[in-house]
Amino acid sequence: MFKLNRRSFVLSSAALAASTGLAGRAVSADSGTIKVLMNGGDADLANTNNAIARFKTKFPNYTVSVDMDPISTGWGDYVTRVLGEFASNTQHDIYGTAIETFQTFASRGVFEAIDDFVAKNPNYSDFAPALFEDCKYQGKIYFVPTSWNNIMINYNRDLFDKVKVGYPKEGWTWDDFRAAAKALTVKDASGNASQWGYEVPNQNFFIQPWFLSNGTSPLNDDWTASNMLDPKVAESLQFLHDIIHVDGSSPIPGNDTMDNQFLAGQVAMISRGHWIIPNVENAKLNMDVAIPPSKANDYTVIGFGAIGIAKGSKNDAVEALTAELSGPELEADVAKSGSSCPGSKTAANLPEYLAFPPSAPLYFQTLPHTKPVPSPANFQEVEKIFIRYYTAMMADEMSIADGCKQADQELNDSFSRLKQSLGQS
Amino acid sequence: MSNTEFVRSELRASQARAGYLFIVPAMLLYLTFVLAPVVVTVILSFAFYDPQFGSHWVGLDNYRRFFTDPRSVQIFWNTLRFTAMAVTGNVTVGLLLALALNRVMPAWLLYFFRLAFFLPVIIAAAFVAIVWGYFFQDSGIFNYYLSHLGLPAVHWLTSAQTAMPSIVFMDVWKNTGFFMVIFIAALQGVPKTITEAAIMDGTPSWRRFWRITLPWISPVVFFAIVYASIGALQVYESIWILTKGGPGDATRSMSINIVEEAFGSFQIGYGASVAVVMTVVILFITGVQFIVSRRLVRY
Repeated sequence: MFKLNRRSFVLSSAALAASTGLAGRAVSADSGTIKVLMNGGDADLANTNNAIARFKTKFPNYTVSVDMDPISTGWGDYVTRVLGEFASNTQHDIYGTAIETFQTFASRGVFEAIDDFVAKNPNYSDFAPALFEDCKYQGKIYFVPTSWNNIMINYNRDLFDKVKVGYPKEGWTWDDFRAAAKALTVKDASGNASQWGYEVPNQNFFIQPWFLSNGTSPLNDDWTASNMLDPKVAESLQFLHDIIHVDGSSPIPGNDTMDNQFLAGQVAMISRGHWIIPNVENAKLNMDVAIPPSKANDYTVIGFGAIGIAKGSKNDAVEALTAELSGPELEADVAKSGSSCPGSKTAANLPEYLAFPPSAPLYFQTLPHTKPVPSPANFQEVEKIFIRYYTAMMADEMSIADGCKQADQELNDSFSRLKQSLGQS
Repeated sequence: MSNTEFVRSELRASQARAGYLFIVPAMLLYLTFVLAPVVVTVILSFAFYDPQFGSHWVGLDNYRRFFTDPRSVQIFWNTLRFTAMAVTGNVTVGLLLALALNRVMPAWLLYFFRLAFFLPVIIAAAFVAIVWGYFFQDSGIFNYYLSHLGLPAVHWLTSAQTAMPSIVFMDVWKNTGFFMVIFIAALQGVPKTITEAAIMDGTPSWRRFWRITLPWISPVVFFAIVYASIGALQVYESIWILTKGGPGDATRSMSINIVEEAFGSFQIGYGASVAVVMTVVILFITGVQFIVSRRLVRY
């Protein structure tokens, strides 16, 4: 029979206590509920659920509830939703969001500054540093980037082949683009188009490359005032206007995007990010991407997704889940699903990510030549003002000169109100 | 006070107490969900309110901004234009359909037509607008048939000239069945003896309509106009889903403006002031309709 003397008992107890303590560090005994609001579609939900499953191996007693917002009506409405949750004290603990919302949220103090969390997480050194720079507000990091999209020209190679127009080459110009769009437009005897060369975009994010490649932007560099009176802004708008009304190569931008028509081979070129790749592959479209054509330079716009921790929700479990939602496994999932470009360089080199489209490496190649979509703290108002005048100008309801002048006035009024709200005037 | 009077007075008081108790739940609901929001809206219209940035009084600044903003005139005019066109379309088409169906025909055919015209009313406006959005696209079904007829395409929703009529067209298609049902019920109340006497006197049908039918159903027509006007002045979802108020401000209504300012731009105080102005406009228009009705409606 095994005898337990006093010494053995003390040693055994110490060993048991030590092993329990060690195990406690690996698997937490804490319990609670974490509410997460992410955005996107089925692929994003699957990626989120995978991250939660990994989190639960370390925090098995935690319950995580996930809500998804498809962002079907733009980031302005998402901001409204999130701020409404904070106003009614029904906020989630972790939010998926995008650069368009950063300043709006951070200026209102509804998210935690997470510099310490970022500093102690070695995975983030694999991310392009510029992404973290754009996550800062007044010098502090509030968000962790997870994935990004830059706007490229997506073109249907079969339609190019049909009219014997050469594929876009690096360094192509606005004039090359315009000529291609014209050649790719097919009209019937009544003059009605059965195939459009290009879809002049209807959304703020998609339009931006036409300003950036002309060395300008609708807002000034630090996003604190309008830049609509810059003649280059009018030049970019006139170019898009002429594609519609002079060349007849694009319909007037309406309420809906023309993704479906592009997938059906009725539009030859559209300005979109990587998120359309899964649908393009499903539609078996012979598509490739090109850097947007240049006028003054070859810059395009970048927007990226990120996650942030709600004010008052920061604890070990929430930080651990945030790390999973931006960790290497999630980055690999993003790369494989194709819903965006992954934030980490390692994931962006995965063969699944580079398999399609043929020029997939261009996404990362353009990264040094990208500028973030202008996203001031009054983004939701700025976007609405810009799009309102933009649609009127593109529909020929207002001259470019009048549109720029009136938009400039309204944008600056909005910035004045913002400064008042922030106590800066 | 005699004993009998005292008992009667006690009874009356207890009946009054019971009466008040019965109306308390309804009054509480009314105060909480109708009157309180109205009062809060009026108060907010004199304030800058932001849950995160804080709040302060701004006096008449919000109203000043609304009345000096050139966009306000356009948005106000859009709302009136939509109201005039939608009310005219809904009431007129509803009445014509009711007159067409208020006649002897096989029961199954009658019910088929009534169902067919009423069906759009019960379909969610959001869904209807999405389907019509496809119809109205530059490459949609309307332009498809126009091109087959050799006609040029029409920019149904992307031109200021055609966007509002297109929205009204969809609105009438969606809602006129409701007014048709109301008018059918009203027409069935017109005494047959009077119309039969007029027929025997050789009165033509259009004259019978103007002299007998319309005066008889005029209270219902008046109700329909008031009801349709109040709904049209608050139009939101049809326009939002089809054009989002564009191109530019060409189809933006006051309701859309309120939602955009209050919940899109977080100018809650300003949005509240536009809501107060809109309420006054609706009250004014309804008041004018009631005054005019005294001369035209026969009770």
